[in-house]
Amino acid sequence: MLKRNILILTIMMLMAVPLHAELYIDGFLQGLYGGRLDENNPTATEFTASETRMQLRAEHFGNVAEFFGRLDFVYDGSDSARYDWELREGYMKFRLGRMFDFKIGRQILTWGTGDLIFINDVFAKDYRSFFVGRDDQYLKAPQNAIRMTVYPGFGDFSFVWTPRFEPNRLPTGRNLSYFNPFAGKIVGEGYYFDPPRPEAKFENGEFAFRFQERLGTFNAALYFYKGFYKNPMGAVMTPDGPMAVYPELNVYGASLRGMGLGGVLWIEGGYFDSREDQDGDNPMMPNSSVTGLIGYERQVATNLTANIQWQADMMLDYDTYEEQQIAAGAYVRDEVRHLLTSRVTKKLYQELVTVSGFVFYSPTDEDIYARASVEYKYTDELILALGGNFFHGESSATDFGQFGLNDNVYIKATYGF
Amino acid sequence: MKRKHLHLVIGMAVIALVILMSGIAAAQDAKEIMKKSHMAYYYAGDDGQVEVNMRLFKGGRERTREFSMLRIDIEEGGNQKYYTYFKKPSDVSRMSFMVHKQSDGNDARWIYVPAVDLIKPISADDKNSSFVGSDFSYEDVSGRHWNEDNHTMVNADGNLDGKAVFVIESIPKDEGYDGFAKKVTYIDKENFLPLKEEYYNKNGELIKLFKAEKIEEADGIMTVTVRSMENVKKETKTIVEFNDIEYNVGLDESIFTERYLKNPPRKYIK
Repeated sequence: MLKRNILILTIMMLMAVPLHAELYIDGFLQGLYGGRLDENNPTATEFTASETRMQLRAEHFGNVAEFFGRLDFVYDGSDSARYDWELREGYMKFRLGRMFDFKIGRQILTWGTGDLIFINDVFAKDYRSFFVGRDDQYLKAPQNAIRMTVYPGFGDFSFVWTPRFEPNRLPTGRNLSYFNPFAGKIVGEGYYFDPPRPEAKFENGEFAFRFQERLGTFNAALYFYKGFYKNPMGAVMTPDGPMAVYPELNVYGASLRGMGLGGVLWIEGGYFDSREDQDGDNPMMPNSSVTGLIGYERQVATNLTANIQWQADMMLDYDTYEEQQIAAGAYVRDEVRHLLTSRVTKKLYQELVTVSGFVFYSPTDEDIYARASVEYKYTDELILALGGNFFHGESSATDFGQFGLNDNVYIKATYGF
Repeated sequence: MKRKHLHLVIGMAVIALVILMSGIAAAQDAKEIMKKSHMAYYYAGDDGQVEVNMRLFKGGRERTREFSMLRIDIEEGGNQKYYTYFKKPSDVSRMSFMVHKQSDGNDARWIYVPAVDLIKPISADDKNSSFVGSDFSYEDVSGRHWNEDNHTMVNADGNLDGKAVFVIESIPKDEGYDGFAKKVTYIDKENFLPLKEEYYNKNGELIKLFKAEKIEEADGIMTVTVRSMENVKKETKTIVEFNDIEYNVGLDESIFTERYLKNPPRKYIK
């Protein structure tokens, strides 16, 4: 009820905002409807999405600072009807002196080079949105953070502090089913999933750092992250049984991206230091790993762009892990996990129609995830889209295999104003 | 007989030389004029800022693009940097786009998508790709170097709608180039601005037609303020209007970096 009151209050406040010459408001209204294709999905509803969304964006440019707000109101009718709203972004930006840029507030953060593969980008993702056909912007979940970027004359240094840990948004069993290792099977309704976040303490904040510099036509970067795994990769024993938790994590990495071979090339690597299992002998916590990716994108023909990526992820202290998993009768991943991806985008009819596909395929996990969509800009304001998400895996315990019952197709209409 | 013969040979040689020289001179003239035209059209002032309104027409329907554009010339006739900030339509608003145009042809392009805080380099292989879905290609927007084509003067005393023009034919040096096989340009003798360009394919068919619809003095420099590009084959047309033009603004080169790609320079965006 409180949430609803706040919603009404917010709308009233927005309506009360005088249309000052320097306050710009725009946004969109969107309907998204999607249904699953698989029988026997244990989710609470057969709709992967059934929602109407209104996004309002407001911005104001002052003399010393800028303000930007992005507010979403959603009516979700996929299960029991509910209203929801979220401040997607709400930040101020300003500059101190010539060298310091600040961005403070709720914001979307992105860095790194991968296309939908993230190594050093340890910022919150929203896979609940990603898997059901919401716009690409919803893959990134906002974080409440302070970002400072320093430009000392050689490269730039970014420091991001997120006082309260922000986890990834993963399928909960409501619209999408997932593999629950405690249950040992794909679960849905009745297994709503919301693991406790690390305690709200100063030292439990997330800290992310990047230094980047241009080297000719290439852009080189170094990264550091101190925080927690964004997915609940660990478990602790409680009197009620095991409980999923977000284990402590440090990431050290680097990347290089630039023009080459008639296109764009990128390479990125990272060392994931699992702070709560440094010897790799705790079966309840993830092992450390070393991971790297390489990618290449180019225009294959007029208005046709394609890319490919290869990622290899090597688990450290694998032998111990293997023994433990076999002893527990659980799924055993390969020591080195390979992932291949490809994106193809074709624009047609003066870019009014965009056909695109993206495939993730892991030969070692033996699973696949394919996304496809067709988008038609009927007018400048009205955009119609049709798409689908398809998962398949030999095991239901792998990254994409666990979503095997969630194949879905959707239609989406967006009216921008 | 011998002498006569020699005279004849010398006479013919002189004539041949004159023809050859005048041919080279004409080619040089044509190239010089193309260069001047290029400078007048793409390099006006040392930098510039403009508000652009682009209208795309297809089958009776109209679409609009609105953006601010900043340009700085690093070297006259050579490297340039462009910054574009999109305002309309809604699905691209607030995106910014940057091009570092290299005279060696290896342009670098980046786009910033604020909704996901993503800077993405764009593979710039195909310069004939459409710019934001319009009938103008990337090359039309930032210019094709005059050295990439062989130019011939077709008519040094041409007339187009009452204006004295040079008519120059350009053939790409690179035979693999597929933007056009031949281009005919009508250049205003007074200010060297291109008034009309006809693009032909290998079969000699007209494919694209450029027109300077309106030329006026803007901030002290003669400028094409309304231009159109018609795709004759696809029956589409784009009309571009430049407003609030300012030259020699004193733009700093630092604006054309990632820092400003993420933080648009509001001072120069209306």
